[in-house]
Amino acid sequence: MTISSAGPAASAQVESSIQQFLEKRLKATVAPDFDIFASGTVTSMFAMELVVHLEQTFGIMIAGPDLRMDNFRTIVSMTGLVLRLRETGGA
Amino acid sequence: MPEAGGGLADLADLAAKLIGDDAGAWDRAGRIPVDVLRELGAAGALCAQVPPSHGGPGLSSRDNGELTAFVGSLCSSVRSVMTSQGMAAWAVQRLGDAAQRARLLPELCRGRLAAVAFSEPAAGSDLTAMRASIRREGDRVVVDGAKVWCTAAATADLLVVFGRYEDGAAAVVVPAGAPGVRVRPIADAHGCRAAGHADIDLDDVRLPVDHLLGGTAQALPMLITTVLAYGRMSVAWGSAGILTACRQAAAAHATTRHQSGRPLAGHQLVARHLAELYVAEQNALRACEHASARWDSGSAEMVVATVLAKQVSATGAARGAEIAMQVLASAGAHDGHVVARAHRDAKLMEIIEGSNEICQLILARHTVEALPARTGR
Repeated sequence: MTISSAGPAASAQVESSIQQFLEKRLKATVAPDFDIFASGTVTSMFAMELVVHLEQTFGIMIAGPDLRMDNFRTIVSMTGLVLRLRETGGA
Repeated sequence: MPEAGGGLADLADLAAKLIGDDAGAWDRAGRIPVDVLRELGAAGALCAQVPPSHGGPGLSSRDNGELTAFVGSLCSSVRSVMTSQGMAAWAVQRLGDAAQRARLLPELCRGRLAAVAFSEPAAGSDLTAMRASIRREGDRVVVDGAKVWCTAAATADLLVVFGRYEDGAAAVVVPAGAPGVRVRPIADAHGCRAAGHADIDLDDVRLPVDHLLGGTAQALPMLITTVLAYGRMSVAWGSAGILTACRQAAAAHATTRHQSGRPLAGHQLVARHLAELYVAEQNALRACEHASARWDSGSAEMVVATVLAKQVSATGAARGAEIAMQVLASAGAHDGHVVARAHRDAKLMEIIEGSNEICQLILARHTVEALPARTGR
């Protein structure tokens, strides 16, 4: 995952926001590198909720190749996606 | 005629003018004149959520829903074409890259017709069983497979075909006239008879690689969930429109037809039918408004709210159309009549874009997930 030039503060803020959403939604503690799809309990419906939530919360559009499931696997990967799209505007 | 960019009222007026009193005749003939579809398409009415930046009317989910319900109350076949073209545009918007959006979306708002191809002989409710294949050969993609029951494919210029690609899946935009594509219209569809349902054979169809949306492999469930969400919303609003048509027809008949010395509406058992139709219509509209509000505010709740709206509206329309048939009786029991069409069309709404059973599984899962966290320790 690309490291953003936005700096560690912005990164920590995004990461914490995503973590809060996931923990509220999954009702469990979610570590930054925990693969939320590995357990098999998270569905494509939930993945879509994540897409919509990230778009709304961070004012980005996630489309085309950025919809890859790998981008939504962990809090770290989602944070990387958000920071990158904030800078580049996406595909 | 409204320019693309016309608002809800202009698009609804255009649809009313073009459909006129012809829905019954189109149902009996099994086809909508393609000029009607092109004119609706050229106004952006078939995929009205495409933003103005890409040449579309840019309606909100709510306004597009109102338009969809209105068209659905007039002609479910035209509304089904809207659902299919809307999903095709949504696929381009969500799955395509910037260049593909810029190239394809304006075309879809200028009169080019499009359809989506998901289902296969052995892949319906379980679309992950699909076998259609897309493979890369140099600067080309090659598509092979068989698709069934593709709404609006008979009149489509472009087919958005879903298939397996590399280690996942992809959607590819296939011109209907490309060598190796055979579109076989289904002549005897049970409902939405004029919507141009077709089966499609794809045999070694070779296309430039930029026809592959997003240019990369995706997880198949993600592709399906993303594109079907639009279709479900469209079917939900369209089904609410079916209920409006049924409520109007039943109420009109029950006040003009007299039996045993009074209007049908004066007979309590018939009056109950009218009340049930009204409840079903209002339930459907509220569920649709709830879901569209979540689309328009970008709330993650839109995912479940969409499935809920689809379930409430489709089941309500199927039951409501049965009730309306019961009220109209022999007056409505002939092909082409608004209530007879509703009776056949509404049943299909319980099957497409996630059957009742699939929607129920999703909603049941949601109820389990919504349980509070176990606090015992």
